[in-house]
Amino acid sequence: MASAFKTCVPRLVARSSPASLSGITASAARSFVRPSPIQTRVAAFHASKNLNILPVGPQVIQGTVNDAAPVPPPNPTHGSFHWDFERLVAIGLIPLTIAPFAAGSVHPVMDAVLGASLVIHSHIGFQACVIDYFPKRQYGTLRKAATWALNGATLLVLYGLYEYETNDVGITEGIKRVWTA
Amino acid sequence: MSLSFVSQQCLRQSAVMGVAAVGGIRALAGGVRHLASVASTEGVPKQEQKRMKKFEIYRWNPDTPEKKPEMQTYEIDLNKTGPMVLDALIRIKNEIDPTLTFRRSCREGICGSCAMNIEGGNTLACLCRISDADKVTRIYPLPHTYVVKDLVPDMTQFYKQYKSIKPYLQRKTPSPDGREFRQSPEERKKLDGLYECILCACCSTSCPSYWWNSQEYLGPAILLQSYRWIADSRDEFKAERKQAFENEMSLYRCHTIMNCTRTCPKGLNPGLAIAQIKKEMALSS
Repeated sequence: MASAFKTCVPRLVARSSPASLSGITASAARSFVRPSPIQTRVAAFHASKNLNILPVGPQVIQGTVNDAAPVPPPNPTHGSFHWDFERLVAIGLIPLTIAPFAAGSVHPVMDAVLGASLVIHSHIGFQACVIDYFPKRQYGTLRKAATWALNGATLLVLYGLYEYETNDVGITEGIKRVWTA
Repeated sequence: MSLSFVSQQCLRQSAVMGVAAVGGIRALAGGVRHLASVASTEGVPKQEQKRMKKFEIYRWNPDTPEKKPEMQTYEIDLNKTGPMVLDALIRIKNEIDPTLTFRRSCREGICGSCAMNIEGGNTLACLCRISDADKVTRIYPLPHTYVVKDLVPDMTQFYKQYKSIKPYLQRKTPSPDGREFRQSPEERKKLDGLYECILCACCSTSCPSYWWNSQEYLGPAILLQSYRWIADSRDEFKAERKQAFENEMSLYRCHTIMNCTRTCPKGLNPGLAIAQIKKEMALSS
């Protein structure tokens, strides 16, 4: 029975014989892409070398396979303190955002605190993106550039906010005017 | 016509069985049902029915590195295969293509060898039921891993990271009475949901943060294992263990995406374990 089953089952429905592999790219694309009306375009995207964005490099093993992965030097400023600060700013933003709605208008100092917290909150968010997507080992220069660009942008926005708070109406009043415009 | 035939049959049967004509309607109803069931089993015997199902499996051979990875389709009869995807894989390897390569050992979800990406989710092949026969099942190696061959991923970095958290009991003081270190039932209970982890790497390889930063971020599996020792009442190096996470990469690349918890084939919650570490570190230091 088992042998009968063996013979009746088509062996390797899509076996890749050398004859069928006329073009490597074409066959690879065919096997990876589900049938669709625009198959050729999709296949070209997946198979072409030009659009291979940020290719993964070869595997890097530090030390031997039996060594433990290195533990970075401890620095709470980048660890738990950073996390605490991030959460405090995020939680603090909730009452700061609700206050102008509840009170109708707020003191300029509260307005400035709200603005500054918003900028710091976004700075931490963008910082996480930079750390996530520009690994030091692979893109060291890009990482440095992105970090400094972010720091510069944050300082510029903070300065702009200072100008807006001191020489203009402040962000709460500004948003109110835009909202009712 | 068929009705009259059925009633004739029924009458004959009831006569044979010696049922009195007084209970005729009941006998008729019973007789019809009986005959219908007989008629249905007279069809094609079940053994010859085939339930063919297609499996598309990722193939890549290190001996021919110039060839790109490709999907290969295999078709097997589900009626002659066990219920799990691992049964199907073993059947394909035994009967169709012996070059198909995958890891497997215990076939009951305790060794973690057969972790792979089945129908878009990381799971253990031995714990994953084969889906409907009319659906094509696609099987890939664990995502974003370096592939050794076919469905076999390279786990070197994963094990090196596991080693870096010192996954063993560390003490500064000997046992007070020279006997083993004992726990209360409450202290032992804290380890439930942690000690069951089999390090199959399904969670770590489903975590986007681990995909991007596996060189430095430890990933959910290793962090859950670390919390297993932080939560252990007998361990005396909790502060040192937490100290090792005081940097921006090892622990804090977790953004609570929770893919780890969704995919865990053992039903554990690595996301919760990581949150506990973060909470303890936030309040202690």
